[in-house]
Amino acid sequence: MSTEETESKGIKRRDFLKAVGGGVAVAATIGCESDKIEKLIPYLNSPDNTVPGVSTYYATTCRGCAASCGLIAETRDGRTIKLEGNPDHPVNRGALCATGQAELQALYNPDRYRSPMIRKGGKLVAAKWDDALQLFSQKIGEVRSRSVAANAVFINQHESGSFPAFLDQWLGEFGMPAHFSYDAGVDYEAVAAHTAAYGVAWPRFDFTAASLIISFGADFLDGWGPAVPQQLDWADARAKLTGAPRLVFVGPRRSLTGLNADTWIDCKPGTEVSVARALSGQMPVAQAAQACGVDAKRLQDVVDEYHAAKASLVLAGGHVARAAELFAAVSALNHANGAIGTTIRPDQALLGYEGITAPAQLRGLVDRMNAGSVPLIMVRGANPAYTMPRSTGFAAAMAKVPFKVSFSSIMDDTSEMCDLILPDHHSLEQWGDAEPIRGTLSLQQPAMDPVFESLATSDALIRVAKGDPATAAKYAFPDYRSWLIARMPGGEEGMRQALPKAIAAGTALARTAPKPALPSIAAAPEIASTTGDMYLFVYHHPVLGAGRGANKPWLQELPDPVTKLTWQTVVEMHPLTALKMGLDNSDLVTVSTGAGKLIAPVYLYLGIRQDTVAIATGRGQMHAGRYAKAGENAYDLVPLAENAAGGLALVSTKASVTKAGGSILLATTEGSARQHLRDIARAIPVGELEGGAEHHEEPEEEHFQGDASHEFLPGLRSPVATDAQGDFGDPTSKDKGMYAPDHWSNMAKRRWAMTIDLARCTGCAACVTACYAENNIPTVGADWQAAQILPDRTGFGANITRSREMAWIRLERYYEGGEDGSADFETRFIPMMCQHCGNAPCEPVCPVYATYHAPDGLNVQVYNRCVGTRYCSNNCPYKVRYFNWFGYGEPHRAQYAFPEPLNWQLNPDVTVRGKGVMEKCSMCVQRIRGAEHRAKLENRPLRPDEFTTACAEACPSRAITFGDAADDSWSVTRLIKDKRAYHVFEELNTFTAVVYLKKVNHPSPASEPAHA
Amino acid sequence: MATITRPETEDVELLRRPNIPSADVRLPAVKDYEQVDDEITATLHPTGQWFIGLGVAIAFLIVGALAWTYQIYSGLGVAGYNPPVMWGVYIVTFVFWVGIGHAGTLISAILYLFRAGFRTTIYRCAEAMTVFAIMTAGLFPILHLGRPWKFFWLIPYPNWRYIWPQMKSPLIWDVFAILTYLTISATFLYIGLVPDFAILRDREKNPIRKRIFAQLALGWRNTDREWRHFVRAYLFLAAFSTPLVLSVHSVVSFDFAMSDVPGWHTTVFPPYFVAGAIYSGIGMVLTIIIPLRKWFNLKHYVTINDLDAAAKLALFTSLIVGVSYANEWFVAWYSGSPAEKQFFANRLWGQWWWASSLLYTCNICLPLSLFSQWCRRNTTWLFILSIFINIGMWFERFVIVVPSLSHEFEPWQWAGYRPTWVDYAILCGSFGWFSMWFLLFIKQFPVIALTEIKEIVKPRLKFSHPRGIDTTAHPLPFMPDTPGEFD
Amino acid sequence: MRGVIGVFRELDTTCDAIAVLKKKKLGEFTVYSPTPRHEIEHAIDKGPSAVRMFTLIGGLAGVTFGYWIAIWISDYWPIVVGGKAIASWIPYTVFGFEVMILIGGLATVAGLFATARFPRITHTVGYDSRFSYGDYGVWIEPAPDKMQEAEQLLRDAGATEVRVER
Repeated sequence: MSTEETESKGIKRRDFLKAVGGGVAVAATIGCESDKIEKLIPYLNSPDNTVPGVSTYYATTCRGCAASCGLIAETRDGRTIKLEGNPDHPVNRGALCATGQAELQALYNPDRYRSPMIRKGGKLVAAKWDDALQLFSQKIGEVRSRSVAANAVFINQHESGSFPAFLDQWLGEFGMPAHFSYDAGVDYEAVAAHTAAYGVAWPRFDFTAASLIISFGADFLDGWGPAVPQQLDWADARAKLTGAPRLVFVGPRRSLTGLNADTWIDCKPGTEVSVARALSGQMPVAQAAQACGVDAKRLQDVVDEYHAAKASLVLAGGHVARAAELFAAVSALNHANGAIGTTIRPDQALLGYEGITAPAQLRGLVDRMNAGSVPLIMVRGANPAYTMPRSTGFAAAMAKVPFKVSFSSIMDDTSEMCDLILPDHHSLEQWGDAEPIRGTLSLQQPAMDPVFESLATSDALIRVAKGDPATAAKYAFPDYRSWLIARMPGGEEGMRQALPKAIAAGTALARTAPKPALPSIAAAPEIASTTGDMYLFVYHHPVLGAGRGANKPWLQELPDPVTKLTWQTVVEMHPLTALKMGLDNSDLVTVSTGAGKLIAPVYLYLGIRQDTVAIATGRGQMHAGRYAKAGENAYDLVPLAENAAGGLALVSTKASVTKAGGSILLATTEGSARQHLRDIARAIPVGELEGGAEHHEEPEEEHFQGDASHEFLPGLRSPVATDAQGDFGDPTSKDKGMYAPDHWSNMAKRRWAMTIDLARCTGCAACVTACYAENNIPTVGADWQAAQILPDRTGFGANITRSREMAWIRLERYYEGGEDGSADFETRFIPMMCQHCGNAPCEPVCPVYATYHAPDGLNVQVYNRCVGTRYCSNNCPYKVRYFNWFGYGEPHRAQYAFPEPLNWQLNPDVTVRGKGVMEKCSMCVQRIRGAEHRAKLENRPLRPDEFTTACAEACPSRAITFGDAADDSWSVTRLIKDKRAYHVFEELNTFTAVVYLKKVNHPSPASEPAHA
Repeated sequence: MATITRPETEDVELLRRPNIPSADVRLPAVKDYEQVDDEITATLHPTGQWFIGLGVAIAFLIVGALAWTYQIYSGLGVAGYNPPVMWGVYIVTFVFWVGIGHAGTLISAILYLFRAGFRTTIYRCAEAMTVFAIMTAGLFPILHLGRPWKFFWLIPYPNWRYIWPQMKSPLIWDVFAILTYLTISATFLYIGLVPDFAILRDREKNPIRKRIFAQLALGWRNTDREWRHFVRAYLFLAAFSTPLVLSVHSVVSFDFAMSDVPGWHTTVFPPYFVAGAIYSGIGMVLTIIIPLRKWFNLKHYVTINDLDAAAKLALFTSLIVGVSYANEWFVAWYSGSPAEKQFFANRLWGQWWWASSLLYTCNICLPLSLFSQWCRRNTTWLFILSIFINIGMWFERFVIVVPSLSHEFEPWQWAGYRPTWVDYAILCGSFGWFSMWFLLFIKQFPVIALTEIKEIVKPRLKFSHPRGIDTTAHPLPFMPDTPGEFD
Repeated sequence: MRGVIGVFRELDTTCDAIAVLKKKKLGEFTVYSPTPRHEIEHAIDKGPSAVRMFTLIGGLAGVTFGYWIAIWISDYWPIVVGGKAIASWIPYTVFGFEVMILIGGLATVAGLFATARFPRITHTVGYDSRFSYGDYGVWIEPAPDKMQEAEQLLRDAGATEVRVER
């Protein structure tokens, strides 16, 4: 979509001035909805404490997934510019995952519907709301008059809270059945199993209480259930170091959780149950090992360890075929080992997953739709046309429905089939509530005025109901918000008090509609019996999920935490297998199953079985907007296979994998996944930690001239005189040079620093997206952003194939061991950003002072002064400087990274860098200065830990700590003194301000650690 | 006819002093001064082939210019940069041209001080080559900037913001070194040309050209006073240019040696670069002079003996360069630094094996043929070899710049490098630019220094030996020129 | 200025003429030669050229300025880069050296112009285009009464052509 169009149809200045009014109104009285505001509010008489350029913060609820985390939406001049976790929220406790932060790009998505659309002559054309609603009620009228209303279908993106019940009521009024609450991203089989075993859809898993965790393919750190709270608990558990639980991961492919696991049992797909039986003793270990093709010894170790474990926790998940037995066995194990109530806490269940519809229910519709008995289908948010594999025939059947209505606010494969589109507000534009935890309401309020002419579905339904004399009486209230307030304990007053934190005691309106009976299950065959030469492991993309993230450039460009691929769909294959097949990275292969075929480049991944290939879903959506087209659609390969409870099995077949010939460059951010003796990501076995033995790795002292008295702070090493403008060339000098307290440069007064605890970091990459959002980092991987002349232009990701990604902070994933291709390797994640060296190699080589050392220890980059020699980047050992190869910030260019209205998200505090200048992590200097100015205005010194950087704020494992290392009262100073602390590349005498705490390895009690 | 008063004996002794500049070269085919003027001024008249050549050069230049325009408009991304390889073809070509520039001053200045006579016939070409090569090299640092329109920020000019360059940056050292080198070598070239301009002024028939030459000659009159000071000044300029040559490429090598990049951060770079520069310069001189002496019928001025001597110089420098390579490998192994070791492994038999093997072939193996006198005196082989030397030296710089950057300390950021057509177009453009200037030069100005040739030509005498003046050639360091090679 | 110009074909005769002239002391004389010949230089036997002083002074001025400008620029606006000293004089040797060469070289050229009295706008009497071709010339400016003697001398020395010019 071109910018002209957006200018014509798009946002006008008065709109977001209006929005200020809207926001203000919301903050002041939770009154007046935005479209009542007609007049432009001049800032002369600011109606409230709103000041231009000063942020207002609204607490609301994230709808990115079913977990319903709490959000703080930072709104400036009427635009929401950043999402952060709500520290007071019981679910996410202030953290926020990448998907949640990227909700902003759903709000400002250039491919949102800008107004209602009506299909005329085969194509959708813009319409007025009145006409659209008119048409809608007319169609409903027809359906009722033909008394086939009972056959109408409403599919809603699953969400918790009162709206589902409200929707059911409304449908009931018109004689329509209750809606389907569909969420393709949720592991329905697990939900069903939990409900059966523990009575709740999703209990809280208390990792801190466990001493051994065994996960059967459940990627609980990333995508399996509520990732953020589970990561928080997991990180806390691992932060206990000596008492931390071990994690054993069972499954054919190592997911992010698998990479964080201490032991990997690489069983064949579908044979997890044998391992579970081995644990419970129902099956001899040898037989189980034989069945699932793993080394009996290693399995035996796990079994022994399991029996020896004090408190263990067993999880299962991951859309595997015939999972029923597995789940049964697992819950049996948990019941047997007394996990219920200790490590599994049904009492602290997350209600977000209650009431999800089984995908089988939707598949059940196919026959009805084909038979033409469905007169009307309505879809809101959900995208079944894409997420129901083609083998289910859903899309084809849906096309046969006479009238199709979509409430989707962004175009997707489903809405593009529809005849009428009534675009919904984004969740940041409308009212709502959720009940993430029993008895706790998490409120959802508009953070800004609607970007486009959309209308909250709830209000649309109310207007339709009002229009119908039969139902008008029941819908006397003006709108959904007032309906909500009416339900609110304490009514309007209670709402006003609750809104600042958006938390309130109370319960959402419960759904009373009975669950429709499951259609007959299309049971999956035994995988081993299917045809094909390799197991096919299809999984939901960690950040794109089942496809909801696909049209958000942040998420497309965010390297998959595991494969580090961007913008592309790849076939993951074990290096040894590839060797056998004569394949290498980026060679194209054809993967074909009974359901369909797909051609994609090979990515060699160590963490997958040799007889298995893996492909992620989420990409390759044809009608879901400009960014979502990237990649291939893995659903095409999935045959129709369902589990007992009605969940869709993604892993249910073998596939034949053949060379397709040719190759495409991989859009990967991965260079070499080996450290080559560089000691960048260091680890220490937990045993040595207990012993306190700080042996091994590198004798640090010898890297430093002089002695400890040269450290300008204990732990944080500072340049000695020979480097720091003291006595030249005298290594024994005690002169602290510019770090002397009385030195004119004031270097000793303050030193902004950061610690990163690798024992906590899970590699989820939420920090990366947070940095993109905070610092206006452009995404460069879109098809049209590669200059037309690049010979290797491979469509999406072409700039990334030249490693031109701009991520100021990146997550490096290094393997230890497994060089022989064995499953017994360790993974270390390390976030790498500008280290703000005391002796920065980048500074002295810059010919124009474009980068220099600030008195508060920052390594400053002056964009306006930079002429672009790029010498600084050559000289940076950490390679954390990024160059603007194109004018990513210039709207008239093909490379423009923020097509209207994405540019509304840009942080006003941060420059959008121009063409030809270098940029890098600034340690969020805008936040530092902001805090300093606030302190100055309030005439006080900075309070310890008063603020932090965007990455640290978002981090769901709380691995990053930021602060002033020159001041002992900041917690960073304490962490710097930790005995696990080390600097990367100390031997280069760069004296970095970023201090890493070594990862702690938990080797199996039986075997030696993966690499000693 | 009156008798001539015979000079006293001490005068005879005085007259008997050897004619120093002609120490070790003789031009048997050049009979007297008039012949020198006539034959060399005859080369100054444009021919058809010359115009064609100039056209080709300008076409190349235009291609490069268009590519650069496109790059300035769209951004450096259109070139093949592939982070962390932040420097690529442009810096490689910059070092290449600076290196070319070094032979000129070496030949005209250092060999002048060493009284190596064979320089006389080739130095004018070499010097012009120097000036134009520096003019070419000077473009590239600007051309590779992200914001080339801001290049003047690198120059310490007084400005109202009082912002000065960062004097610790090797790039600023470059600015000073290159500008100095350009100025001095241009001056050196011009001063050497002044007496020749006087000759052209006097020989020229065309009034306009005559007037132009008259201006350029600055009223030179060949008086004894002029000659006396001229010879001195020329000597001092030579004496100044000599350390300049050594310093300039050392400074260029600092761009690399001063950084911490594995493969760059080494103390051997300055001498290694200087040797390489001279080596590449000699190569380019041969590439230029061999066709030139053929087309301009100057074979009896630029004799086989001169080429033989130049070839020996090339051989010598190639050996130095070879030792430097060996030294690099040794240090990499001896350092024990994993980064250094890994990088050199990758350079030699990793992803860059092709570049390094190409370079070793061109720069070390092929020149060994120069140990054979037959090869040294075979102009065809010399020409082919000189082309190989040019290619090899370009790739030497490529191997220094690109592989080092592609495998630095941070394995996660390792990458490759693939130039795009923009890189190649601008590379070709630089050759077009250089050739354009050089072609313009050789048809306007004498490619062989007239007056200096006259110095080594037998002066006309009334009384032959033992009348005093030494007119014989001096002991021959070379084989006598092969008969019939002047035709 | 009135004088006699003698054109010589050969080098040895020119030298002879110079030798005789120096004995007879007929007045100021200038020798034209197509190329610098040491024979002539020795025959005339003037002292060493003064250009060297220009070179020396230029060089010294250059090295001083080079160091000074680098240090002044660094100290003018002291910004810490890489923890290095604000004015790191050791690397500034580069500037000292390069500027020395630059100014020294240009001073040498200036010295040449000053001492050799050129560029000059007009050709003074006596010069003949043959002197840049193959012939030598000797220009004498004798006292008016010595004119005949000078002409005779040049002829005796073997001048192919002698004429009086003013």
